[in-house]
Amino acid sequence: MRRRKAGWVGWLLLLALALAQPSPNTPPPDFSPEVFEIARELRCPVCQGESAAESNAGIAVEMRRIIAEQLAQGKSRAEIREFFVQRYGDWILYEPPARGLTLWVWLSPLVGLSLLGFGLWRYLAGVRARAQLTASDVSEEEIARLEAELQSPERQP
Amino acid sequence: MLRFWPILVLLLGGLFYWGMQRPNPNELKSVLVGKPAPSFSLPLLEPYRAQYGPEMGVRAGLGKPVLLNIWASWCIPCRTEAPLLERFHQQYRDQVLILGVNVQDSEAEALKFIQQYGLTFPSVYDGRGRIGIEYGYYGVPETFVIDRNGTVLARHAGELSEAQLRGYIEQVLR
Repeated sequence: MRRRKAGWVGWLLLLALALAQPSPNTPPPDFSPEVFEIARELRCPVCQGESAAESNAGIAVEMRRIIAEQLAQGKSRAEIREFFVQRYGDWILYEPPARGLTLWVWLSPLVGLSLLGFGLWRYLAGVRARAQLTASDVSEEEIARLEAELQSPERQP
Repeated sequence: MLRFWPILVLLLGGLFYWGMQRPNPNELKSVLVGKPAPSFSLPLLEPYRAQYGPEMGVRAGLGKPVLLNIWASWCIPCRTEAPLLERFHQQYRDQVLILGVNVQDSEAEALKFIQQYGLTFPSVYDGRGRIGIEYGYYGVPETFVIDRNGTVLARHAGELSEAQLRGYIEQVLR
């Protein structure tokens, strides 16, 4: 019984240790995680394919500082995004709003899928029509003759 | 469907042609073009204080077109651009204000750079590059062309060639 208890304590200790480890993606302690959440949606202007949250370029650091300052001033997430859009345009956003030419980019998968569906439907309709046509093309007399031939005893081996 | 293949080919060709005619996707257009330039006032770097006062910036009532050049001492293209800007400053100093903004830099390095190239056009110091973000800059060097009324006419990302710089100055003096 005592051994079992010790085992439990060991497991609990292990669990506590595991929980105490910082998870690898937590931001450095200087800014709140919310700053990084907002920065993740913004492009780092001098980088290739890096968000303002990931980059250590001076401009990205300054962007995070601006976000932190504006959060402290009580600005909303949308207002902060707007601040950067006003200066850089929609380009700065990793997920551009669905309007204008961008709307077509958002819609193109749907358009493609419906075109594919339409093509498939047309093809299957054609196949079905042809199947029915060949079935109805054979006259009664021909069917009777075929059946007679199939059943005639001299054809049996 | 196959009867229409010439039309399909033409459509596809048209699409490709349209794609080729698009403006260069690498060209960075500023949303500021046609809008009033954000005003600011920043401390001048030490060598310019005697002539221009403690602070300088873009503001209403300058009465002069401004070429706002964002630079840093660690930036390689800035090193070829600086002598060019200096030459044009000597030539057009009465008509155009060439104003440098030193960003993401240490003041000591900036001063060394100024001394090395003998730059006489004024530069302000913006260590964190906040004014750069205010203007929506991408990197250094970058130049904003601002007309007499304080409206942004153009943004040039990257190094300026002599012809480009002359073109901007002519555009702004017109």
